Amino acid sequence: MELKKFRKKSPWILHYNTGSCNGCDIEILACLAPKYDLERFGILNRGNPKQSDILLVTGPVTKRAKERLLRLYFEMPEPKVVVAVGACACTGGVFRHMYNVENGVDSIIPVDVYVPGCAARPESIIDGVVKALEILEKKKKEIELPPYCKVPEGEKLNRRKLLERCLEVINAGRRS
Amino acid sequence: MGKRITVPFGSQHVALPEPVRFVFQTENERIVDVEVDVGYVHRGIEKACSTRFKYMQVGYVVARVCGLCAISHTLGYVTAIERLMEVEVPKRALYLRVLVSELDRIHSHLLAMGHTAEVAGYENLFMQTFRYRESVMELLELITGNRVQFDYVCPGGVNRDMTTELEKEIRKKLKELEEKCLWLKDVFENDFSLNLRWKGVGVVTKEMAKEMNVVGPPARAAGLETDVRAEFNYLPFEEVGFKLITRRGGDIYDRNLVRAEEVINSIEMVKNVLDGLPEGEIKVPVKGLPEGETFVRVEAPRGELFYYIKGTKKMVLDRVRIRVPTFANIPVMKKLFIGMDYSDVPATVISFDPCLSCTAR
Repeated sequence: MELKKFRKKSPWILHYNTGSCNGCDIEILACLAPKYDLERFGILNRGNPKQSDILLVTGPVTKRAKERLLRLYFEMPEPKVVVAVGACACTGGVFRHMYNVENGVDSIIPVDVYVPGCAARPESIIDGVVKALEILEKKKKEIELPPYCKVPEGEKLNRRKLLERCLEVINAGRRS
Repeated sequence: MGKRITVPFGSQHVALPEPVRFVFQTENERIVDVEVDVGYVHRGIEKACSTRFKYMQVGYVVARVCGLCAISHTLGYVTAIERLMEVEVPKRALYLRVLVSELDRIHSHLLAMGHTAEVAGYENLFMQTFRYRESVMELLELITGNRVQFDYVCPGGVNRDMTTELEKEIRKKLKELEEKCLWLKDVFENDFSLNLRWKGVGVVTKEMAKEMNVVGPPARAAGLETDVRAEFNYLPFEEVGFKLITRRGGDIYDRNLVRAEEVINSIEMVKNVLDGLPEGEIKVPVKGLPEGETFVRVEAPRGELFYYIKGTKKMVLDRVRIRVPTFANIPVMKKLFIGMDYSDVPATVISFDPCLSCTAR
């Protein structure tokens, strides 16, 4: 399919702020600006989850942002890669164990690449995104390998479990 | 009149760097009602400051309230704690604080100007502004060692000293930066289509600004003479050539020009600081425990920032209260929206330069 060919050439990113201090967000903006120019890898910043391949998450995931983050994650098509940008997205950072914080992105959704730093430097963000491209390629092959698109057994179980858990959370949020 | 249409905007949107949610009620193109929800980034920093962190550590925690005005938050807290404990800060440290806080103001203002240009459809000008902003970031990195979260100010002084080579480098880069900023100001002032887009849009009159307590560049663009740098004595701004800049229009065009002129004034101040940098210590030790209560006002890039702290002879403070500039600007923004065309909304929002991680904390 044509889409597969171009996904490698031009992955689109989706950026979501889950309660960060804006430090990492302006560094992501700086990445897209002339000096660092992330767009030379064919990367475009689009706000639409349904067309994106890479999810850049900043911030320690506040309780209200959790639901939105899950919805964005499930709206993205496979294959997808999640990059946690900054110290607070990786572990919760200085906000760890505050009353409204979930201690990092990986407590909510699976994370593929961790970019450390407070705030993460543009060079390391670019490095992280390039790593994410490799992982994206790998994931794409995993999906493509069986001709009739059969997902491996273990993978399937995990995903279903994850989906159930997450749907529970979403529904719980709705009722209250 | 036409039927009412509800337009949700946010919490995740490509034009928004931060999660905020607006729900507009529109009749045809005109907005009749608006609801704002800013609570997506609430982390509970004030609570944590008065339970989990010692008073010497809080300065580094409040810097993480907002990455754009990190220096102002730390400055506010540190000034408050110094007043409470009666620490006399060395003059050199005060001058270095002025230097970093003005450089921070330059980069924040350039960011805001670039964003307004992007919203007006000037992608090219946006990129150009960001390229110029990078040179300020380089300067900040040279001085403080980090690009965004500086952690430069600490109770009793500053964490890093300035060397002669560094000073030379800064002077060289500042000269280039000044030329670029003058060019930018010229574009923002004289460009024909930008004038058409911005003049007379989102007007805040002087009376409105006074009544609704507007702060920062929007207030100064409306002709209200309010600047904490002139009103509250926390750093020696008068000695380094601070000028109060006001304009009369109060629209988006004037807000941008106030920012542009403040950038040029800030560059001048940085130069004066380098010229008159006194010799001496950069840090004095802080001993003892804070007792009593005090408040401090600081001029952040977006306006007046207010800190209240209270301590009762313990390592952990009793209360830290932060009132941020964006919070003060929300009522006037809401009033402006009603009766406005939907297409003018993004430009108006961005021209106030809202910072929601400050507002929600």
